[in-house]
Amino acid sequence: MSETGTMTRRERVLKLFSGEKVDRPPCFSGMGNVTTAGLGQFGYKFAALHSDAKMMADAAAQTYRLTGFECGVVPFDLCVEAQALGCEINVYAHVDDILYPTIKQKIAHNEEEMGAITVPADFVKRGRIPLVKEALRLLKADIGGEVAVGSYVLGPFTLAGQIMELNDLLKLSFKKPDKVGKLLDTLADAIILCAQEFVEAGADYITVREMGATSDVLSPRVFKSLILPYLKKIFGAIKSHSVLHVCGKTNDIAGFMVESGATAISVDQKNDVAETRKKIGNALLFGNYDPYNVLVSGTTEVVRQAVRKCVEDGVDAVWPGCDIWPTVPVENIKAMLDEVTNYRR
Amino acid sequence: MVTDEKKQELLERLKNAVIQYDEDASKEASNEVVEIGMDANEAIFNGLVSGMEEVGRLFEAQEYFVPELLMSADALYAGLDILKPHVQQMDLGVKGSVVIGTVEGDVHDIGKNIVKMMFDVAGFTVYDLGRDVPLDKFIEEQLRTDSDLVCLSAMMTTTMVGMKKIIDEIKSKNPNVKIMIGGAPVSADIAEKWGADGYAKDANNALKDAINMVSSLKKMKEEADARKRA
Repeated sequence: MSETGTMTRRERVLKLFSGEKVDRPPCFSGMGNVTTAGLGQFGYKFAALHSDAKMMADAAAQTYRLTGFECGVVPFDLCVEAQALGCEINVYAHVDDILYPTIKQKIAHNEEEMGAITVPADFVKRGRIPLVKEALRLLKADIGGEVAVGSYVLGPFTLAGQIMELNDLLKLSFKKPDKVGKLLDTLADAIILCAQEFVEAGADYITVREMGATSDVLSPRVFKSLILPYLKKIFGAIKSHSVLHVCGKTNDIAGFMVESGATAISVDQKNDVAETRKKIGNALLFGNYDPYNVLVSGTTEVVRQAVRKCVEDGVDAVWPGCDIWPTVPVENIKAMLDEVTNYRR
Repeated sequence: MVTDEKKQELLERLKNAVIQYDEDASKEASNEVVEIGMDANEAIFNGLVSGMEEVGRLFEAQEYFVPELLMSADALYAGLDILKPHVQQMDLGVKGSVVIGTVEGDVHDIGKNIVKMMFDVAGFTVYDLGRDVPLDKFIEEQLRTDSDLVCLSAMMTTTMVGMKKIIDEIKSKNPNVKIMIGGAPVSADIAEKWGADGYAKDANNALKDAINMVSSLKKMKEEADARKRA
């Protein structure tokens, strides 16, 4: 695919992460961006992608090939670490519509079981961690010369919400913060191991998705006291470039997000980015168009407006607020890339 | 005979028990209500529910967050379980029933449970399908129970899309059913586009909307009764 600037797509993303000057903001993501248009070309079913490395890599590469979207990202679901810790997952193989895998069987059902969670010695060989690594290797070999390749892990609080009832986790965060802190510390170890494997397999950047710790759910005070210490631990250990993503209301925690030590922070459409930019100075900030209401159901003009707003508000990369919903029209992603390429503040 | 003073004291204690998420205090005050023969209905609405309204306000002011909301809900249920068997006549005067659940692909049920709580309090018959509920199940359950309301919840952008199909199917089979959708990714715009009758973007709004919807149903019922009488 032909380049549209003075740098290649890959160089632009890597230079941005390294703090060097770039000719324009890149347009990429650290979260899922598989498209049904891409799947159609291979005849793949969404539900089958999660347990086949080649299909996963093909599907990820196809978004770039079809649209010029400036990255390749695997996996597509949020259950990889939880599964390797012993949770049973549901991939909804019987459903023709697109449904993302969920946890069918949690491993901690009360405070006592929560306290007993450990990271298995063979953790990185369990579940689909080896499969995602294989997909990363294939993806890197396929398009890694042209675009940056990314992968993601969950944040410790979000992973805790996968392995135990969220209802219990939230109440215990209030009643027994010390015990929850201990769990998050253990899970941070698992997350670091997983991220290391993905970096070894070729990921240029790792996004840590701490989506459950949004200010819609938890107070900024709890974010700072209970979650931030373990995010710092994780970002201190990740050897590649890294991004911290939190969904929902994040204006009050944007400063803490930067403090976590991630190379960049990522926020969604509920964040007032102009405000955040003032607050965090020059720290790298990615965001924040609505990946469904704008990119999937909007017209190309709505998409272009959203891109201009992101750039004017001061993002360093035009980047979605969450996974892109797969039925996204190809022309919308193309319009987005065209606008990013040609729009100047 | 229950003195007004005693009544006020108990209402205040019930309310504070919910606000301070104190399950024991809620049980204690509720037991006293039953012992002295105070109207259970009044204790629920002017005690427990008024506490929950204050919790909603604190949530909106970002003084309370979801953990506090959940603990307050526990305190409310602790009292409600004791008081409910003693309720003579529900205040609202509508016998409604509602089918509620989180859509397939989504295992988040906190928002759904908060809305369910309000329907429980209001004396609705609640058919709770739980979470990760297949589309057909909502349709079957509405037809089976002939419920007036169907509430669909989705926490993630990646699961919200399934709600459209359910709305279409239910409305085509029974256009009079009111459908309420809720969850973080849902917007007024989506609710309108997909033909839902109401929406709630977070747990607090769900709570408020559920109260509003129950009271508007009550109003509709009263108007219908008034027309019948005329």
